[in-house]
Amino acid sequence: MLTRDLFSAIMATTVFSLICALIFLLLDGIDVSLTEAAVGAGISTILFLSTLKHTNVEIKASRKSSIPLVVLFLLTLSLLIYAISDLPDFGKSIVTTNSEVTRHYINESKNEMGIPNMVTSILAGYRGFDTLGEVVVIFIAGISVLGILREKKENK
Amino acid sequence: MKHHAIPRIVTKLIIPLILLFGLYVQFHGEYSAGGGFQAGVIFAAGFILYAVIFSLDVAKSILNINMTKSLMALGLLLYITVGFVGILSGGNFLDYNLLSNTKTNGQMLGIFLVELGVGLTVSNVMILIFYAFNDIGKS
Repeated sequence: MLTRDLFSAIMATTVFSLICALIFLLLDGIDVSLTEAAVGAGISTILFLSTLKHTNVEIKASRKSSIPLVVLFLLTLSLLIYAISDLPDFGKSIVTTNSEVTRHYINESKNEMGIPNMVTSILAGYRGFDTLGEVVVIFIAGISVLGILREKKENK
Repeated sequence: MKHHAIPRIVTKLIIPLILLFGLYVQFHGEYSAGGGFQAGVIFAAGFILYAVIFSLDVAKSILNINMTKSLMALGLLLYITVGFVGILSGGNFLDYNLLSNTKTNGQMLGIFLVELGVGLTVSNVMILIFYAFNDIGKS
């Protein structure tokens, strides 16, 4: 982050989330796009802002040079770009790693589940146990936040 | 935010649309994009927007903290119950085939109930975290 002001950093994160949501939309990932727009740009911004309200932080200008960071960034970037060549072609439905199950979902899910949306039938039907785990994780996250913040209140 | 007319009026106009869109994503998830998780966060975002513009106390008089706690547990409980109904009717855990007279009807019913559970839990956890963050300084 180039900015030293926390408020502008939060706004930059929000804008980044919105741009991500648009990219997901262009890639036809509407589910992910909806989530990114609501959570990344909406709720997390409000959580950051309400945290900012309770804090009183001033970031001092650091005297360290940023050259090592830039080198690290360029190194990671070039590694990632190199890795892109190994990815399967964009929009290819049959990939060697999961060809059998993908074909089954595409051809059979409508007959087996009776609903046209393949994403929903995979998430809630075929992979129902995974989704149960996800919901448990979210539930535990809610309980933990409540526990941590309440503990702080009692300590005061 | 009480004295800012423009955000208040705009929010009043768009909040019904946001909540309606959340419900649409929830109950139409089998046919169009979306599902329980997306619906939950959209609904929660609409409610949080309401709480930000029209003070936290008004929002809490609609949905207080204890209610969000019970509802988030209820969502998870609904999901697990659907799983155990599958076992009790002679199938596996989360086996929707036996929930209704035909296989596809059972799958549709199971997916509908499970998504409802996900939506309930997600939206109430989001609202609860928002409440918790805003109550830090008080007391």
